[in-house]
Amino acid sequence: MTLNTLTAPIDSASEFHKIQSRPASIEVKDVSVSFKTPKGVFTAIKNIDLTIKKGEIVALIGHSGCGKSTLMGTISGMTAPTSGTVIANGSVVKGPRPDRGIVFQNYSLLPWFSVYKNIYEAVDSVFKNKTAAEKREIVEENLKMVNLWTHKDKLPGQLSGGMKQRVAIARAFSINPTILLLDEPFGALDALIKGSMHIELLKLWNMDNRNKTIVMVTHDIEEAIFLSDRVVVMNNGPEATIKEIVEVPLSRPRNKKAIVHDPV
Amino acid sequence: MKKLFTIQTYLPILFGIGSAVLLLGAWWGVSILTNNEIPTPLMTWAVFSEMLATPFYDNGPNDKGIGNQLVSSLIRVFSGFGAGSLVAIPVGLLIGSSKTAFRLINPIVQILRPVSPLAWFPLGLLAFKAAEGATIFIIFITSVWPTLINTAFGVASIPQDHKNVAKAYGFSKWKYITKVIIPFALPHIITGLRLSIGVAWMVIVAGEMLSGGVGIGFFVWDSWNALSLEKILSAILIIGTVGLLLDKGFDWLQKRFAFA
Ligand SMILES: Nc1ncnc2c1ncn2[C@@H]1O[C@H](COP(=O)(O)OP(=O)(O)O)[C@@H](O)[C@H]1O
Ligand SMILES: [Mg+2]
Repeated sequence: MTLNTLTAPIDSASEFHKIQSRPASIEVKDVSVSFKTPKGVFTAIKNIDLTIKKGEIVALIGHSGCGKSTLMGTISGMTAPTSGTVIANGSVVKGPRPDRGIVFQNYSLLPWFSVYKNIYEAVDSVFKNKTAAEKREIVEENLKMVNLWTHKDKLPGQLSGGMKQRVAIARAFSINPTILLLDEPFGALDALIKGSMHIELLKLWNMDNRNKTIVMVTHDIEEAIFLSDRVVVMNNGPEATIKEIVEVPLSRPRNKKAIVHDPV
Repeated sequence: MKKLFTIQTYLPILFGIGSAVLLLGAWWGVSILTNNEIPTPLMTWAVFSEMLATPFYDNGPNDKGIGNQLVSSLIRVFSGFGAGSLVAIPVGLLIGSSKTAFRLINPIVQILRPVSPLAWFPLGLLAFKAAEGATIFIIFITSVWPTLINTAFGVASIPQDHKNVAKAYGFSKWKYITKVIIPFALPHIITGLRLSIGVAWMVIVAGEMLSGGVGIGFFVWDSWNALSLEKILSAILIIGTVGLLLDKGFDWLQKRFAFA
């Protein structure tokens, strides 16, 4: 795999409209989430409506605590909406399913398993019909993708925050989901690795003919603009709603320097 | 240049010697106060070293070496403790992961746990029609609780993060139990086992005093009947040392299986 796929020419102006004419991948319909707390009911997000098309990359931005992870949770199926529904790949979300890969904000690695085993167990659980050799191949491929193959035998406790994050990313990728839900996936990475992870993410997306839908939470506006087709900006909670949705009218492949020097 | 040996290196040794001096001093004091009715460390040592010289002699059912006595006791302890653990760990896993099971079983645990091992002995006799079975039974019933409670606590305290992984990647029940619950609870389980073996070792002496036969508890009782305080004191030292070694063994296991 080289960067060649990235630089395949694509007509940028019509590209966005092409995406919008695609079928919906994720439909968030009038979703509210309330939590029961000792101090009473706390409504984190309220009446959220959002449709994300197949193959679209959407960035979710908002102040911390506004409800980004909660919204992601309703899409992944980890959090049930208090009211409203989420439809993913055509069916109502009732819980997590391997068509949606999740990178949790706090990595969520199992500390007693090596890097390798953390991914293998996920692969093993999802691909029940594959042989052990096939499963091992998947693990190896994904660990190499995030440059952690040489660290495969380490325990999560022996890794830096950025390395843990890359394991979590490799794990989500390894089950080959059609929807990738990334909650601040690059937050703990240094600029250099972050940059190469952006490229890897796009590479994967390109490799699959840009059919994978990606929703990612980020605090990094530059990252949001570099990666996404649309940026969803949320209001502050409680009862957070969508403040605005900003389209990113940049052609792909995008050039990082151009974005920095010529901000939209 | 860094000094190779500092006071820090010798400190544990110095404290060890200190403890020994303190114990022997106190013991000697008591011996003097009781006019040697409690034998002095020196008098005890004479008997003790004799006991250790031929630990495995066997002169019939009522006269066996201290090694034989110890082995019999250890077999009983590990039988009862093993059976107890085989019950305690699964039940602990169950009540730690199910609120219903917890509410059902916890009151039973709370009521039975404080019961003295000796109170169970007649029931053991009734059930097994033999003192041997009854002794193992009381070890079982008293050593079951610490492991059970610690296992349940360990399972109940699994962080949401770990549960999320299992949920997100659709782990089967079996995978969840073997790859998430048990590894997480393992350090707690081992702590429980460590407490349980301690209890079992305490109970064995009392149990064997009731049951007779061969064993360190019986040996103490027999020595009392023979009015050999030296033997009793030697036995106490041995019981303490073996208890310490058992504890160290589980301490090692605990460290071995700590993942964090
Ligand atoms: N399980 C929960 N119980 C109670 N309150 C919660 C829970 N999860 C999230 N919240 C609250 O909901 C709000 C949104 O949280 P979150 O979605 O994690 O925010 P973000 O990801 O945008 O930082 C916060 O005020 C948080 O305290
Ligand atoms: Mg968050």
